[in-house]
Parts: sequence; C-alpha cells; structure tokens
Amino acid sequence: MIDTRYAIRLSGVTKRFGNHAAVSELNFDVPRGAICGLIGPNGSGKTTCIRMIMGILHPDAGSVSLLGATPDDVRRKRVGYLPEERGVYRKMTCTEFLTFLAEIRGVSRTEGWKRSNDWLERLGLGEWADRRIEALSKGMQQKVQFIGTVIHEPELLILDEPFSGLDPLNQDVLEEIIRDFHSKGTTILLSTHLMDQAERLCERVCLISNARKVLDADLKELKAKERTGVVVVRFEGSNQWLEGPEIDYIHESNGELHLILKDGADHQSILKRGLEYGAKIYRFDLVEPRLHEIFVRHAGTGSVGDAGMPKNVTLELQ
Amino acid sequence: MSVNVWAVIRREYLQRVRSKWFVISTLGSPLLILLLMVVPAYFLVRGGQAEQKIAIVDGSNVLYERIAPYLVNEGLEVEEERWYPDVVTSLRKEATEGDLWGFIVLDELTLDTGEAIVYVTTRPSPIRQLTLQSAITRAVMEYQLERRGVDAEALLSGGDLSLELLSEEQTSTEEPQFWVAYLGAFFLYMVILFYADSVMRATLEEKTSRIVEVIISSMEPWHLMLGKILGVGAVGLTQLLVWIVSGFLIVVGGMPLLVSLSPGLMPVETILSALPGIGMVTLFVCLFIFGFFMYSGLHAAVGAMCNTDQEAQQVRLPMVMLLVIPIAMVSVVIMQPMTAMSTWLSLFPLFSPFLIWARVVSGGIPAWQIGLSFLLMLFTVLAIAWIAGRIYKVGILMAGKRPTLPELWRWVKEA
Repeated sequence: MIDTRYAIRLSGVTKRFGNHAAVSELNFDVPRGAICGLIGPNGSGKTTCIRMIMGILHPDAGSVSLLGATPDDVRRKRVGYLPEERGVYRKMTCTEFLTFLAEIRGVSRTEGWKRSNDWLERLGLGEWADRRIEALSKGMQQKVQFIGTVIHEPELLILDEPFSGLDPLNQDVLEEIIRDFHSKGTTILLSTHLMDQAERLCERVCLISNARKVLDADLKELKAKERTGVVVVRFEGSNQWLEGPEIDYIHESNGELHLILKDGADHQSILKRGLEYGAKIYRFDLVEPRLHEIFVRHAGTGSVGDAGMPKNVTLELQ
Repeated sequence: MSVNVWAVIRREYLQRVRSKWFVISTLGSPLLILLLMVVPAYFLVRGGQAEQKIAIVDGSNVLYERIAPYLVNEGLEVEEERWYPDVVTSLRKEATEGDLWGFIVLDELTLDTGEAIVYVTTRPSPIRQLTLQSAITRAVMEYQLERRGVDAEALLSGGDLSLELLSEEQTSTEEPQFWVAYLGAFFLYMVILFYADSVMRATLEEKTSRIVEVIISSMEPWHLMLGKILGVGAVGLTQLLVWIVSGFLIVVGGMPLLVSLSPGLMPVETILSALPGIGMVTLFVCLFIFGFFMYSGLHAAVGAMCNTDQEAQQVRLPMVMLLVIPIAMVSVVIMQPMTAMSTWLSLFPLFSPFLIWARVVSGGIPAWQIGLSFLLMLFTVLAIAWIAGRIYKVGILMAGKRPTLPELWRWVKEA
C-alpha cells in the first residue's frame, strides 16, 4: 500500500563501508509538503543517507521508501536531487546542459529548452544562456546546477549542502527560491551544517551524529520542549557565579553569554548566586534555545568537531 | 530503448561531432590524401607543359620512332629533325636563342654501341639524364633484337610467368592485396582503440567532475554506459563513412589521373581490382562495430574504476599489450591465412576484428569461420557488457583507491 503521507521514509536503515558503519539503524520520515533539515557534523552520514534515499546506494539493512515505494527510475524522476559534490559538462552551453538534464527526466526537448531560458533569466544568467559552462564563474555554475535540480518541476527536492560555496547574496536568493517551492507544496529535504540556515528554513530537523539519529522533531515543538534550557546573560564583574552545577556549558555570542543548562536545572538559583557574588547583571533572559545549542547539546561534546559548532567556550571576561 | 539512453546518445554524438577536432580530422584526412595525390600530379602536368622541348636528329633512321614515345611519356616535347650537314650549328643557334632545350644526335655508331651526343642548354637532372640514356639504349636493344627475329617488347618488359595452382588452397597474396589486408587491419586497430579510449576518457571525466551523480540519480548507470558507448560509436561510424565515401571518390576520380601521369608505377586496373568492393566495406564496418563494442565496454569499466588519467592508462596497459599479438601476427596471417595458428588467432574474439579482416582480404577463410567469429564476438560483447556494466555501476561513484582484482570480483558479484 502506498503511504501518501510521507515523501520519504527510512526504517531501520544501516549502511556499512567495510567495517565502518556510515549509517546505523536510522528511522526517519519526511512528511509530504514539509521542509526538513538533515543536520549533522561532516562525516556523520548525511550524504550516505541521501544517496540511499535516491537509490544510488542500497542499504545493507532496513528499507527506504521514496514517494511511497522503493526508489526506482520512475520515482527518482519526480525528485530534484542536488548532490553535495556537483559537476557540470563544462563544454556544453548552459541551455544545452539544462535541456539535457530535463530530457533525461522525461521533459520534452522544447519544453526543457524553454524552461532553461526562463530559469536562467530569473537567476540573472540570461546573457550566459548560450555560453559554455566553463566560461562561467563558480557561483554562476552553482546557480546553473541548482536550475538543473528543479528544471523538471519535481515534487520532492533533496538538496545536499545547497548553500556551500555561495556568497551571502546568493545564499539569500537560494533561500528565497526554496521558500517559494515550499509554498507551492514541494516537499524539501536539505542537509546542512549551517545551523542558522536550517533554523530559518526548516519546519523539521533530523540530527545525525556518528551515523546515528540523535534527534528528529518538529522545530517549534522542539524549541518549546527545550525552553528551560538557555539563559542569555550580560553583566559586569567576576564570573565566578557562573560556575555551578546547573550549567552544562557556555558559549559567547554578540558579547553576551549563552548558558546552556543541564536538564531540569533551576535558572533561579544561578540568578541568586549572581546577586550574592555582587555581579552587575544587565540582562538575564530565559530564551528559546537556538538550533545551534540544541544541536551541540544533542550531538554531544565528543562528536562535534566542526569549526562552525564550538563545543565549548572558555570564559574570559574583563 | 528508453528516452534517457537516446538523450545520452544525442548529447554524446552532437558534442563530439560539433567539436573542432572532429571536423578537422574527418574532413582533413581525405583532403590531406587528396593533396598528396593532386599536388605532385599537378606539378607533373605543369612541368611537362612548360619544360623542355627536345629535338632528335636521327642519323640512323630507325631509332626516332622508338625513342620519341618514351620521352613524350616522360614529359618531354619531342620533335624530329632531318639530318643535313649543318644541322648541329643551326640547332645550336635555335637552342640558345629559341625555346629548344636541347637536341640528341644519333648516328650509325649509336646502333652498335648506344653512344649518342646530347646538346643541352641547361644541365639535366640525374634522373632525366638516366631517362635519356635508357630511352636510347632500350631503343637500340629493341632494334637489334628485332633484327634477329626476337620479340623484343615482350622480353624487355620482363617476360611473363603464368602461375598454375595445383591445389585448391589459395595461399598467395598479390602485393596490392597484401597492403589492403595489412593497412585495413592496422586501421581497424587504430580506430577501434581510439574510440574505445574516448569512451574511457569520457567516463573518467564524468566521474572526476562529479556530474555522474546527478545523471545516475535520474537513470540506471547501465543506461548511461550504454548511451555513452552508442553515442561515441556513432561518431566513429560517421567518421568512417565520411572517409569511405571520400576515399571512394578520390580513388575513382584521382587514381586514373595519377597513374596516367606516371605510367612507371602500376596499371590502373591492378590497383582498382585490389580495392575492396561493397561487400568488403560492409565487412570492415561490421568488424569496427563489433570490435568497438568489445573494447569500449572494457574501457568504460576501466574508466569507472579509476580516478585519474594516469591510473586509467596503467590499468589499460595489459589490454594494449595483449593487442600486440594480433598486430605482430597480421602479416603472417595474411601470407598464410589457412594455417591452424591463423585460424585460432583470428577466431579469438578480441583479435577477430583485425585478423578476420586480414584473412578475408587474402582469400584464405571459409565462410563458416566468418560466421562463427561474428557469433563469438557477439557473445563476447554481451559478456563484456554484463561484467563492465556491473563494474561501472559500482566504480562510477567510488573515490579513493582503485580496486584490487578480488574487490573487482566482488563488485561484479554484488552489483
């Protein structure tokens, strides 16, 4: 029976390369119409997971369902897939290349040609349409690759690190387009290690670390649930009052400190200690945790090695 | 065939056919050959017209009609001059003032010894000098032999050896046929390997540029490989057909011209009769197609399992080494097409494209063996496609170290 609620379902999926488990017993669903983030540090198994969803790799155990069935040619043609390492045919012109990609997914040549030109125009590459791709800058090539992903108007977009290598301006453009697709009902799964982006875009996140799923939840619910977790403070004076059993770890952001509390810890006791130590407190604010913090907490201190995700910050104030 | 494969074939074909390289090599080669034939011919004709009018003063009264046609053939303009007492003086004047290049004086003594005096305004080239000399001695010998009642013409043209074969086996290969067999086999080797190598490079390029992941997320790897091979093969066929057609035009139009200009070479009929007919051309094209399918499959697998061009060349080396055997054996097979060794070598599918051609041209192969070899090649094509397809499927996404043989075997089993 075809399950129409989910665009993607992974159940008990395991994939090994030699002795190394790249993905281990992963259960993970993407509801139709959702925009879902697959987050995790580099080497955590995101790309392997995506390749199995696309049917490029086959799981050693467990099952993958793509648009209601095992990934096959018919279903894969309804998916727009942007791999992490993406190439182009350098000697082809932009329109030739895009038309070819449209064609192998079942769009007619004339229609593919027309859509290519429309998209190139929309992304400001109109005058490059008949130039060979090798003449384009790297950023422009990435735009062409993105157009290639959506040229056949897929019902599901799978984007592996779509923002990497783009300048902030183009990141915004891409974000806008992704939102646009989402609003038209396209299901979107994107992998990223940029927490801010995931936080802005995604409704759901699935956190993978060391080949295993650590977290899989609706972002709003997640934040509500973890609400007690983070206190933002700004103060003057000794920081001794911050050494307490309630605090898991601390990181700095915009000159303020984010105190990530241990589960069930009482933030009042920290405030009380601050007053006892005589710190001049300007801000003591219990906030919604940022995805970053949730991520770091759940990914565990040992497994996160990315520059973008500090596991700890030493305190140096005044 | 699925739409996908057609799209890949079309892409591969158009990209290649539109490249500068293809246009240059396809049109350039026949043009070059044409040039090589036409330019010397042109100069021969031009040279003959502009150059060298020579007069012959025949004091012997029998040599002129024997010498004149020979010299005319060699591009000289010849005129006869009657003998009279002051002939040398007046001709000398004509030569220095007019357009006469020189004159030959023949007398009774020439008939005995072949001695003659040649007066010239400019020194002749050594070859021309030899031509003049041999024209005179030949004429003298002819005259002397005929006087003794000998068929001088037959004798001087080298006589005639008529060959009577006592067995049915036809083992002799005439010279022009030897070259058709040899060059044909060699040419097949070159084009097959060249286009198979193109498949390998294209595969490698798709792999290293990472475009392949996008492509095979929309189609079976096996279809991509098939489309690639068919596309490149179609390019090869296009090139072959252009060459065959233009070669035909050149031979039909140009060869008689060339032969008529330098009759010393070989009679036109001999050359034309040695050239392959329509049946042979078909065989040639079929051998190309089968050979290309076998070798391009192998090359695609090599391309898919490697990461750099150098690596691929290394892996490919044993295959190229193996091919030394048929190429080294071609001439032996042509000379002795019916021996057991020739038969077995030519039936080995990977060698068939080259050696079957050699045996067919030299006339030493029963029809059933041609049929058998194509059947064997067909099986080989299918077997290679099956194995290569599996290696391709796994290899195309692999990065890092290239597989060892046991690993390759696992790919084939598990894919």
